[in-house]
Amino acid sequence: MLGPESAHSPNAEDLNALYWVMLAIAAVLALAANAALVALVVRHRAVRGRSARRVRSRGRAQFIVAGGLTAIAIVIFAAGVIVTHSASKLDSAGADGLQASRPLTAQRTLDVPSGDPQPLKITAVGQQWIWRYEYPAPAADQSSSPNPSAPAGTGASASFPQTFSYYELVVPVDTTVLLTLDSTDVLHRWWVPGLGAKADAIPGTLNQTWFRADEEGVYDGASYAFSGAGYPAMRTRVRVVDVPQYQQWLAEQAQGIQKGQAFVQAQLAEGGALVDNSEGDEAPGGSE
Amino acid sequence: MSDGNGSSTLSPHRPELVSDAVPSRRPRWIELTTSGDHKDQGRLMIGASLAFLVLGLVEFVLMRAQLAVPQNTLIEPITFDRLLSVGQTTLIVLFAVPFAIGLFTYVVPLQIGARGTAFPRLGSFALWLYLSAGAALYVSFAYTPPEANFNALPPLSEPAFISNNGVDVWITSVGLAVLGMTLQALNLTVTLRRMRAPGMAWRRLAPFSFAGAVSSWLLLAVGPLMLAALTMLEIDRHFDGVFFDAGEGGAPIYYQHLSWIFFTGCYVLMLLPAIGAISEIVPTFSGKPLFSRGAVLASMVAIPVLGVLAWMQNMFTASIPVGWLYGAMLMALLLLLPLGLTFYNWLATLAGGAIRLRAPMLFALGAISTLAFGLAGELIQAVIPVNWLLADTVAATAETAYVLVGGSVLGGLAALHYWFPKMTGRLMGESMAGLSLLLILVGVHLTFIPMFLAGLEGQPVDAYRFFEGQGLDTYNLIATIGSVVLSIGILVSVINAARSASRGVEVGPDPWHGETLEWYAPSPPPEHNFDVIPDVRSAEPLRDIRDAVLAREGSSEQAEQGAPVA
Ligand SMILES: [Cu+2]
Repeated sequence: MLGPESAHSPNAEDLNALYWVMLAIAAVLALAANAALVALVVRHRAVRGRSARRVRSRGRAQFIVAGGLTAIAIVIFAAGVIVTHSASKLDSAGADGLQASRPLTAQRTLDVPSGDPQPLKITAVGQQWIWRYEYPAPAADQSSSPNPSAPAGTGASASFPQTFSYYELVVPVDTTVLLTLDSTDVLHRWWVPGLGAKADAIPGTLNQTWFRADEEGVYDGASYAFSGAGYPAMRTRVRVVDVPQYQQWLAEQAQGIQKGQAFVQAQLAEGGALVDNSEGDEAPGGSE
Repeated sequence: MSDGNGSSTLSPHRPELVSDAVPSRRPRWIELTTSGDHKDQGRLMIGASLAFLVLGLVEFVLMRAQLAVPQNTLIEPITFDRLLSVGQTTLIVLFAVPFAIGLFTYVVPLQIGARGTAFPRLGSFALWLYLSAGAALYVSFAYTPPEANFNALPPLSEPAFISNNGVDVWITSVGLAVLGMTLQALNLTVTLRRMRAPGMAWRRLAPFSFAGAVSSWLLLAVGPLMLAALTMLEIDRHFDGVFFDAGEGGAPIYYQHLSWIFFTGCYVLMLLPAIGAISEIVPTFSGKPLFSRGAVLASMVAIPVLGVLAWMQNMFTASIPVGWLYGAMLMALLLLLPLGLTFYNWLATLAGGAIRLRAPMLFALGAISTLAFGLAGELIQAVIPVNWLLADTVAATAETAYVLVGGSVLGGLAALHYWFPKMTGRLMGESMAGLSLLLILVGVHLTFIPMFLAGLEGQPVDAYRFFEGQGLDTYNLIATIGSVVLSIGILVSVINAARSASRGVEVGPDPWHGETLEWYAPSPPPEHNFDVIPDVRSAEPLRDIRDAVLAREGSSEQAEQGAPVA
């Protein structure tokens, strides 16, 4: 009850552990100050015939208190830096995960090195008031062993449609997911309790966070930056499944999107009504 | 500044011509609202800020009513957003900061032995800017109130997303208030620098006046930055500016930095007046001088410096190189030193004292207790990884609210109860004060502990509804009940002040046996404050005066009553 949501990602474990330490320190300080306050007031109430002792301060006590407080601050700072660093470092994928990615040292805006084992890179785009998730095309080595449900006639990866989903992010269990955050309109903030750190999504700047979900299931999250009238509706969900399920879902999603695109294309080819406005002045009468 | 013969601190060294009894030719209210007297300006600022506090509380309780049960439909979403924007702006910009500045405006010149402020007309102008700011914000309920939250972050506040006049209203109102308060800070700065009584060295300044000096410097630093940010936002909105437009080479994060520097300054301004007032009230009612005055005064300088330099602790989730974030975290954590030292010295002042639990002292003790919780909560939030958990949940709101209530409300009310007899010649009712304090203390914990717990469960900040089945229902219901208790408690004190101004028990110039110069003046003081300005030889000038009287008259009678002697 006094703690955050239970952690389901290595970085969330770091965050929660430090939370408990800080809660303990803060509780001790606040309760000690209050206890001392009450005790002193009870003990030194004015009574007849007793006047206050005019004690002058001694420098030594000040220095001891100041030194103690500074020491606490420095220790907390060191712990904060260490945990920030460790929570920003992408762990490699677990045994059941999709890909074995090597550990990476991450800043808030990670520059992920190119090279062999990579985390699963997904882009989360905030827009008023829904989250859109963009998935990578299956890696080359996976497409060499074609998935049974993969859409037929998929040629080069260039023609592979960008797979995306709204509201629900589907990821494989035990897999390091690197989430790049972007926004098409205003400031949004992505967070799913139990899966690591909050991160801003703001137009013009990319931001990143990551998680590695340790358990299959559904995790609910939301947008945590006031973004206008529909802000409370801007929720999100992470559905964690096993790797085959993920690949199947991805293929089906791709197929569905491709079907939809083919349908639209057919419609466009048939009726010219939809075509003409795509070029030229799409806003007649409007100023530029 | 001791004069060689040292016969007495009481003899006037400078002949002063004082004329006070010129009858006014205009109605009382015009005299009051156009007065150049810092006492009239201060009282009006205090009165207006308390009125805005009540308005802010009404808005707060309405929002809590909407959040009493999950998926509530009591208040329209757009109305909630407007209450949110106006309510928070009111509590910070129209209550906390002007309440502090109003108290300083009234008390500081008296404490430093000045006959007024350096720029009396500027003070009047500042007052009117502030009142216009409040009017601009509230008149907008007749057409389009703001809806872009208390800081109106772009891009949301750009016309592409909110094209109505609400954001412009907000910019106007905040701009007027910040300009007014910054000008008055300038006035106080010059007053403090140039108009102190002979012998009143900086180190002899009363803690509240010292807090006034530091607060004024702080406002002079952060106020213009906010004015710049507001101007740029307005240019973006109406004159094709691109300061905060990512598509055109600007960046919204510039506004985030500027506004957070300002609002962090406001946060410090919730603390400083309370620290100054407590540092006078606790010694006065313990019958002892402030323990380690120097350390407390030094802390008052360190708090705004470290506090404002830690502005980026509000931006730990932004895309900022981690080194900057570490810097902000270090500043925020180092605040533990001045704040902890201040608390320690308050407690050490209580130790061995003869404590009288009168109304100002009770409020000061309540403020210390509440601030201990609030500042400990801030300490948790200062650590980057923990901030990633708590930021932008209602837990963060709860922690800030603890500091607002502990600092601005309880600390401010302690100051009001303490100096009320100086302003009116009457005491504030003690039993109403006790009732008010009890309700506030119960209310603050009842409201904000459940909100902290709801934040841990992940309830987002600023949302007009929450959803059932997430374990949030009970917390929110309790918090709503608490908000009513808290607001009634504050209201009792506001009513108490209004009543006591005409019906309170009449007292002499020094009802608390204070040690600072304002108690030397009659209550309420005449327009020129002092007939004779005494020489100051220590941090406790009134004690010196009492001793001098004692030595001269050989009687303790007059000193006991603290009657002005000259
Ligand atoms: Cu959002």
